[in-house]
Amino acid sequence: MSVFRHFSRKLVLNTFKSDIKLQINTHCSVCLRFLSYQPIHYDGKPDPGPVFIKKEVQTLLRTLTRVDLAKVFKKRRFGETQLQQPVYKFMTDEQLQEAYEEAKKKVDTFLQIPPVVAVRKPKDKVLSKDPALQGLDTSAFVFTDISYGVRDSERMILVRETDGTLREADWETRDRINQLYFPVAQRQIQTPKMFQDSNLEDLLKRGEYNFILDRACLQFDPNDPLYQKIVSITYQCVNDNNHFNELRSTRHFGSFVFFLAWNKLIDNLLLDIIESEHIEEAKALVELYSHIHQVKYESKENLQQIDEYIKNHASKKAALELAFQAYKNAAKRKGEVEEGIKRAHGLS
Amino acid sequence: MASQLLNVTRTLSKLSLNTKCRLGNTLIKLEQELAPQPLFSNPSRNTNFFNKLPAHDLWKGITSVSNAGKKRGRGKTVSKKNIKDLNRGQIIGVGKANIVWPGLTAPIIRGKEIVEQQQLPEDPERQKKLDALRDQMGTHRYAKLSPIERGWSGAKMPGRSIGPPDPIGEEIFTGFDSKVIELKTVFNMKGNFGRKRRVSATVVTGNQNGVAGFANGKGQEPKTALRKAKNRSGQKLMHIKIFRNHTVYHNFFTQFGATKIFVQQKPEGYGLVCHRAIKTICEVVGIKDLHAKVEGSTSVTHVMKAFFLGLIRQKSHEEIAESKGLHLVEFCKENGYFPTVLASPAKCRSPDEIKNDEILDFTQYCYDGRVVLKKKKHPPFYTKHKSYEIYLKKQEKLRNKEEVKMNLIAQYGEIRSFLTEKYPECRPYKEPKKEQAEEDSNT
Repeated sequence: MSVFRHFSRKLVLNTFKSDIKLQINTHCSVCLRFLSYQPIHYDGKPDPGPVFIKKEVQTLLRTLTRVDLAKVFKKRRFGETQLQQPVYKFMTDEQLQEAYEEAKKKVDTFLQIPPVVAVRKPKDKVLSKDPALQGLDTSAFVFTDISYGVRDSERMILVRETDGTLREADWETRDRINQLYFPVAQRQIQTPKMFQDSNLEDLLKRGEYNFILDRACLQFDPNDPLYQKIVSITYQCVNDNNHFNELRSTRHFGSFVFFLAWNKLIDNLLLDIIESEHIEEAKALVELYSHIHQVKYESKENLQQIDEYIKNHASKKAALELAFQAYKNAAKRKGEVEEGIKRAHGLS
Repeated sequence: MASQLLNVTRTLSKLSLNTKCRLGNTLIKLEQELAPQPLFSNPSRNTNFFNKLPAHDLWKGITSVSNAGKKRGRGKTVSKKNIKDLNRGQIIGVGKANIVWPGLTAPIIRGKEIVEQQQLPEDPERQKKLDALRDQMGTHRYAKLSPIERGWSGAKMPGRSIGPPDPIGEEIFTGFDSKVIELKTVFNMKGNFGRKRRVSATVVTGNQNGVAGFANGKGQEPKTALRKAKNRSGQKLMHIKIFRNHTVYHNFFTQFGATKIFVQQKPEGYGLVCHRAIKTICEVVGIKDLHAKVEGSTSVTHVMKAFFLGLIRQKSHEEIAESKGLHLVEFCKENGYFPTVLASPAKCRSPDEIKNDEILDFTQYCYDGRVVLKKKKHPPFYTKHKSYEIYLKKQEKLRNKEEVKMNLIAQYGEIRSFLTEKYPECRPYKEPKKEQAEEDSNT
């Protein structure tokens, strides 16, 4: 039965263009695209790390995130069974301002973007080969340096295998051992079943992007190939379904935008931004693209830079041009109306 | 004594002329034949308790208690509900002596013949039927209440719902529900009658949305009293402010007479942790989460009145902010302690305008300077015993068992051990299903 459903859906898919979205539920429109995404890792050629760390890039990413305090500080349940009674305070104007400032500082920690780094290379270093020790035991031994103050990534973890070779533990073993001796709260030793293909597919269909990304951040290191696979698939799904609002004002939007810019997939996002008339963000996005791909725009003015990008580098040229033209016309008309009002009031 | 008698009779018998008459021998014979035994007697009477009085008086004695007896609390099981109606199952004209009464139980003319009054043989089944019927009668069975319908205790009325107040003309009390707070029998001394018995009922009514009222009603029977109270409470409704549809606007303290109540606002899901009267009132008002501590007298009417006083004296956040001249800000853990302004005054005061001894703490301000007594929670007595230490040591192996079970099922789909791979029988025992067990028993 499920096979039949699968094939019928595939048929339906092939008759529609990939841009048109099918409305299935009244609640949300979900594109009938299955996990046909390919995982995209940050190879390291070039290394995204140095580009990501740049201050200009970070500020651009922050602008694009569109910080909405109401969304950042929305009510969340932290797994406690009982709600806590809120604290009420009488405050003067100054005290209230101070409280807002402190909250804004907290925003920085809430919106810390998960780092973008190149994928880690598999470890293969053999320290010594001792065939004399083979058959000593039926299982391998793992030696860990558990001294305090050593970083998890630098910790010495060695494996003496059954055939006698002493080698450095591979990455999976390293993760497992580090979690055993120095556990990170709520991180599982074995990879959760949620990240397996079928389950991930189901979650993506339901639109639970934040849940996947939060848990992936918690479970893996940023240079883990599995992390990059999960995260890239999620980003591609978000991009294709235009569910940008789900990630806006969260910490994941920054790395999401960086991913899109790195892989030259910013057209959907740019279209969304222009249509919703957030020109500052459009400028920021185009600038980010230039930073990453070392593209120099001829004009200094931002609006013209957007034009240049659309002409030279965009893949959805027609749609973008149309949208941008519409925005320019609307902006022009608005300007004229405002001028008229000003003149009527005798201000200009 | 007996032996002496015997000697006397022997000499006398020797003296008699008639030698055939030998009295002494019979006595001696009797003595030899019969062993000494006690004497029995079977008493018999011709009158008994049931014959002494007519049936009417006997029945009256069983089914009623004198007024003096009632004063002394006699005859608790004697009541109109318990008395079996002997007339049930009986028809006029049909009795123990099975007589045909033309005009009453039979037609006067049957065909062409006139029916005569005659006695038929007795019907043995009639009495049995009557007995069976009477066996089933008698014990007054109270209607079994479901837990939802139950009040504070048992089948008693306080805490129970009695529906909305009766409509007045075209006014129908939609959405209203009344609950009984108190139902008591009260007496009043009258000049001619003496003690006059009445029932007093206190009822609270509300639409679960901020409109409520309470009243008292008296009547001869509980039913009338409740009706009066319910309708009167529908006439005396008050508007009560409810914060976010579930709780009070702020903590407050109220008192009425010797009853003092400290009321605390609580978040969603907390429930009504308070005196049962306050709980009932909250249910009709529409408050779902509250904590209240009653101190002093716990007289139910006083508790109710004190609580209502507190509810209507509540101030909205805007009023508080205006009176204080400061912003009222809420800090909630669930949204990261982001300052949410609940109310702002028209003009906010500056720090210099605030006096030194002014109450700036919101909780203290709400309680008007009072502080709620927090009793120290002591650990239970057994924690100090050596046996508790031993128990904890034993529990150490078991206390994480449930979590481990959950994690195993999440990871492997079943509860297993590290040996299960090698030895598949190393799994928890599952009882064979009932059908299989039946099959096994059949085969």
